[in-house]
Amino acid sequence: MTEKESLHLINEMIGKAKESYITQGTASIVWGALIIFCSLMTWAQYIYKFSIGFDVWLLLLIALAVQIFLSVKEKRTKNVKIYGEQAMFYVWTTFGICIFMMIYYQNFTRADHQIFLLLTMYGMPTFITGGIYKFKSMIFGGISCWALALISLYVSEAHSLLLMALSGLLAWLIPGIILQMRYQKNKAKHV
Amino acid sequence: MFKDLDPLLHSQLRLAIVSLLISVQEAEFTFLKEKTGATAGNISVQLNKLKDAGYIDITKQFKDNYPQTLCKITSVGIEAFEKYVKALQSYTNV
Repeated sequence: MTEKESLHLINEMIGKAKESYITQGTASIVWGALIIFCSLMTWAQYIYKFSIGFDVWLLLLIALAVQIFLSVKEKRTKNVKIYGEQAMFYVWTTFGICIFMMIYYQNFTRADHQIFLLLTMYGMPTFITGGIYKFKSMIFGGISCWALALISLYVSEAHSLLLMALSGLLAWLIPGIILQMRYQKNKAKHV
Repeated sequence: MFKDLDPLLHSQLRLAIVSLLISVQEAEFTFLKEKTGATAGNISVQLNKLKDAGYIDITKQFKDNYPQTLCKITSVGIEAFEKYVKALQSYTNV
């Protein structure tokens, strides 16, 4: 093996290992789409004065159950552990617990500007994930959530739901679609 | 001045394995097999050589009732890999 061949082999293997860092983005797409749907549905109920008869946000609980099922399934078939994976698990678990605590607190106190707090929280794990994985779309998504949180202070609570829908689009749906496209492109390369 | 290339790393399959392991936190035997395209027997032999040199750690356990072999690069392995790459660069820069 010549020196150049060695360097080529190292590059090739590092490149192959990096493919393990590309995820399907399914969770991001599902959560992004759900946040958009629930926000727009709640907004429509406020504005057009109708009721669908149940709290649409309960759909998030179903999504959570599906997410846990998919994560367990993925863990079983995965044969590599990448750097930062554990850190990401703790970041998103912290986020989930804090969102739950915040919603509980809001229902308890009936505080104003609830969406400001939720959008501020949305930005945190999104920005951290984007930063660690150098994924610009998620960094932008995280910053967008914080900008939208500030804007929400100046609009009515009903219209703040439109900002929340926008946050779902920018922070999760678009990055998720980008991840899905990268994954499919990478998969096609190896067919 | 030319530096000596570590003979343990200057072998196609061992170098491929170490390059893969340096990029991830931990990998299963099946991952190494899938990415290198080598046979299980050959990988197994090379893994043992790397382990004996202290370049990698191997953990054998059971996952869902199936045997699982986990490989992880050690600090000695990282240092050797860095030295190897620097030596390669000194050759190719000539």
